[in-house]
Amino acid sequence: MCRKSIKVVLKVFYLCIAMFVISGCSNSNKGTTDSEKNEDVVKVWHWMTDRQEAFEKLANDYFAQTGVKVVFENYAPSDVYRNKITAAASGDMLPDIYNPQSDKKELSSYIKAGYIANLTKEMNTGWKDVFFEKALVSNSFEENNEWRVEPGIYGVPLDVSSLMIYYNKDLFKQAGLDPEKPPKTWKEFISAGNKLREAGIQPFVSGFGEAWLVGAFAMSYQWSLFGKQGIIDTIDGKIPYDDPRWLRIFKLFEEMRDNKMFASGIVTMINKDAERTFATGRAAMAFNGSWGVNVYKAMNSALNYGIMYPPTLEDAKYPLLVFDCGGSSLFVNGNSPRKDKAIAFLRWLTQKEQQTYLAQATLNIPSNKESGQNLPEILKEFSNSISKTFENLPKLEAWQVTNYINLNLQSVIIGEKTVSQAVAEVQSEKVRQMKKR
Amino acid sequence: MNMLKKKSFLDIITYVILIVVAITCIFPVFWMLSSSLKTNEEIFKNMSLLPETWQWGNYAEAFLKAKFGMYFLNSLFYTIVGVGAIVIITSMAAYAFARLEFWGKNILFFLLISTLLIPIPGAFVPLYLLLKSLHLLDTRTGLLLCYISGGIAFGLFLLKSFFEDLPKEIEEAALIDGCSRFGIYWKIALPLAKPAVATLVIIQCLNIWNEFLLALVVLQDTSKMPIQRGLMVFQGTHMTDYPLLMAGLTIATVPIVIIYLLLQKHIVKGITAGAVKG
Amino acid sequence: MISSRKEKTFNLLFIVPALVLFLVFNLYPLLRTIQLSFFEWNGIDKDMLFIGFAQYKHIIFSNPAFWKSMWNAAYITLLCLTLQNGLALLLAILVNRQIKGENIFRVIFFLPPVLSGIVVGLIWKFIYDGNFGILNTCLISLGFEQFKDFAWLSEIKTALSSVAVVHMWKGFGYGFIIFLAGLQTIPNELYESAEVDGANKWQQFINVTVPSMIPVFTMVSVLTVLGAMQIFDLIYSMTQGGPAGHTDVPITKIYQYMNNGEFGYSTAMAVVFGMLLLIVSLIQFYVSKKIKN
Repeated sequence: MCRKSIKVVLKVFYLCIAMFVISGCSNSNKGTTDSEKNEDVVKVWHWMTDRQEAFEKLANDYFAQTGVKVVFENYAPSDVYRNKITAAASGDMLPDIYNPQSDKKELSSYIKAGYIANLTKEMNTGWKDVFFEKALVSNSFEENNEWRVEPGIYGVPLDVSSLMIYYNKDLFKQAGLDPEKPPKTWKEFISAGNKLREAGIQPFVSGFGEAWLVGAFAMSYQWSLFGKQGIIDTIDGKIPYDDPRWLRIFKLFEEMRDNKMFASGIVTMINKDAERTFATGRAAMAFNGSWGVNVYKAMNSALNYGIMYPPTLEDAKYPLLVFDCGGSSLFVNGNSPRKDKAIAFLRWLTQKEQQTYLAQATLNIPSNKESGQNLPEILKEFSNSISKTFENLPKLEAWQVTNYINLNLQSVIIGEKTVSQAVAEVQSEKVRQMKKR
Repeated sequence: MNMLKKKSFLDIITYVILIVVAITCIFPVFWMLSSSLKTNEEIFKNMSLLPETWQWGNYAEAFLKAKFGMYFLNSLFYTIVGVGAIVIITSMAAYAFARLEFWGKNILFFLLISTLLIPIPGAFVPLYLLLKSLHLLDTRTGLLLCYISGGIAFGLFLLKSFFEDLPKEIEEAALIDGCSRFGIYWKIALPLAKPAVATLVIIQCLNIWNEFLLALVVLQDTSKMPIQRGLMVFQGTHMTDYPLLMAGLTIATVPIVIIYLLLQKHIVKGITAGAVKG
Repeated sequence: MISSRKEKTFNLLFIVPALVLFLVFNLYPLLRTIQLSFFEWNGIDKDMLFIGFAQYKHIIFSNPAFWKSMWNAAYITLLCLTLQNGLALLLAILVNRQIKGENIFRVIFFLPPVLSGIVVGLIWKFIYDGNFGILNTCLISLGFEQFKDFAWLSEIKTALSSVAVVHMWKGFGYGFIIFLAGLQTIPNELYESAEVDGANKWQQFINVTVPSMIPVFTMVSVLTVLGAMQIFDLIYSMTQGGPAGHTDVPITKIYQYMNNGEFGYSTAMAVVFGMLLLIVSLIQFYVSKKIKN
């Protein structure tokens, strides 16, 4: 008995050593062939799982046309992708084309380190004209920006997306609402919510557990009440967060809560769960991005819905803008020896024909403004909303303050804090962050 | 008579508790299996536990789409080599810490298990840079070394207390018989600790089999990546293909269950002191 | 066993492989991390700004959210130490009674640890769902009407405990097999001689099982503390730290800072957190040694 088990252990041990040795050998062989192979291959790291097949097809077309080989490698979900990018950046081993998936502050670090190439020169040779103007906003830096990055265009948008409110036409009918006339003003929105509740339907759902979504909803009203200069002044600390207009924004959420507009569990819901809730007809309205069209189709192809803008406030001074999710953009590695090849490929990828194919294969709004002809009606409506997305800002609020806004909005929704308590907390965090600066 | 009654009553309670807990453990597996046989729409619309039509094709599709054929061998390799090395390295060290004397014993022990204590979500960055400077990036060896060193603290911790617990008498007898220290560890202590070693193997297999973040960061070449890489194909930022994901998860889980089935038999009484003496 | 000088040196050979791997692959990254915690750095910039203990000072004195997350984790840990380990031990003892079907139960109880976190998160969200969840459906059918629309994961009172239950359910299998292995390594002859002395089953449990299991108890409780304090994936997939931060734990906070370009600060948080875990573990060892003697 004793001997036998020793033999087994020994066998395993020898096997391990043998395999280790083999792996070492195969490694060294593979390593060299790989680096040789890599000389003229443009490598793309992306996270858009649902587009992998379409990308591969386009890469094949490109190879047939130009003889340049492009390889798309997919890493998902986004957290994993970000980790891979972070590690590669620390070792200066980024691929030729990628997206750091970060805000402008972090983007500026990538640019300064040379990991992202400035594409302004190429864009100015007619390339930028193919895009929706707003599509370039999140990929470019303004004059005199806070991060002292050379103004210009740095990223190539593949698609654009904005956040709108989807509504379920069948449920609207069921509650006695006109499915062709969704609420336009805040008052109508609340009264529609009441009617839905009376009919036993949950009025409103969104992935408010993902704090950014609750913040995005509030930001539409920030634009509408403050305007661009007002927002910049807020960031500069000239307008405090206990300003009556901010109180008003928080009160909107309180009003929705008091009218029982929110779906059960909304404050911890991730967006995928919110999408499921809407797709299965368990809530009548959903605040969600344009990708929802594709998601709802996969979850429930019979879903009968329309989209509407977030309801407007009657007395607001400025137009209500919608959150621009930045779409999906790709950046070129400034340190790459294949930089020019990469730029040429992206230029090709954003031309009308390729964009039309991508948009139809994956149901996204193409960044090329001429490629949206044959899209479904809903997506066309979405692409109209793109001109009404947030404008470019030269600076950003400190993320801690934004985080406080989001958390306090959640607190108001669950009735933990009053509106005045909530804005006071945001303001005191703002004061703390201003001191730090 | 009374004794018998009491015994059967105890048995009934035992079974009730065991079965209730067992049901909560089986239900998710059942749900995973049934979801893997549904269509994507059905998963959301229809909450029933059984699929309307059984989509057996999901398994074939998941297997091909996730390229499990290629990744499976990689995972098998990492798991066998990694766990084998962890068991040998940590059992040797654990035996030394439990039984032998050497300088700095206590400090070294706490140092070695200290990595269990400081969790660093960004720890892969220094590790990545280290592998880069050792020219081990994108190599199986590099990944394996990370896995093995990652298992040392836990294995040491687990095995040390089991070795300490073993009766000393047999080892002392063997020492008098002229057995070397290494011989005692290899021929007596290790077999005696079989239940603990089996436990370690199970837990480490689970860890390595399910690990993917480090693999993705360290490896560049897809053909070296483990099975969890395949599951990514089903999880988009916005879209998740649940039936295929569930089918993929089922396929990826089966080997671990098999390993557990094989090994849990060894978590039974090893060669007890009495048996050896007798 | 007293060893000579030469032996002591030879004995070191047993730990050399572990030590070498540890020094290169564990200690070095750890030291690098500690070094980073003294810098303000976003993970990408070429230059880092040395700021000494400033980040530590900020964490300790002006980051209440981090300390709140610590209490949340401590609460989960306390539940795990008592309920999860109690359950694991109970089940291990029951299965160890050599009953029929013992093997089947052994396999079943290890299913939750084997299952993917994705499946676990999905399933439990179905269970806890306010409108359509299995739990509320059961409670309402038992006559508890007040649970209509009760979203377990979004209520301040229940969110943390609900997440803790899932963590315990997912984790008790580890304790179960370690306890089982512990029970199996107790030599039969100890029980035999106790029986000869006329001890009944309960006395045998108190006088033989419990003392032999003390090292295993210590080990499982240390591992439970480490596992529960470092809970992350489940929280991330079930509540994202919500509602309004009520289920935030240290790792979600560290992760949040790291994702917002505060690499240096997040490593300082990790070091503070690790130090506290180290102290807790040392106390556990100390206490168990006292009990043993």
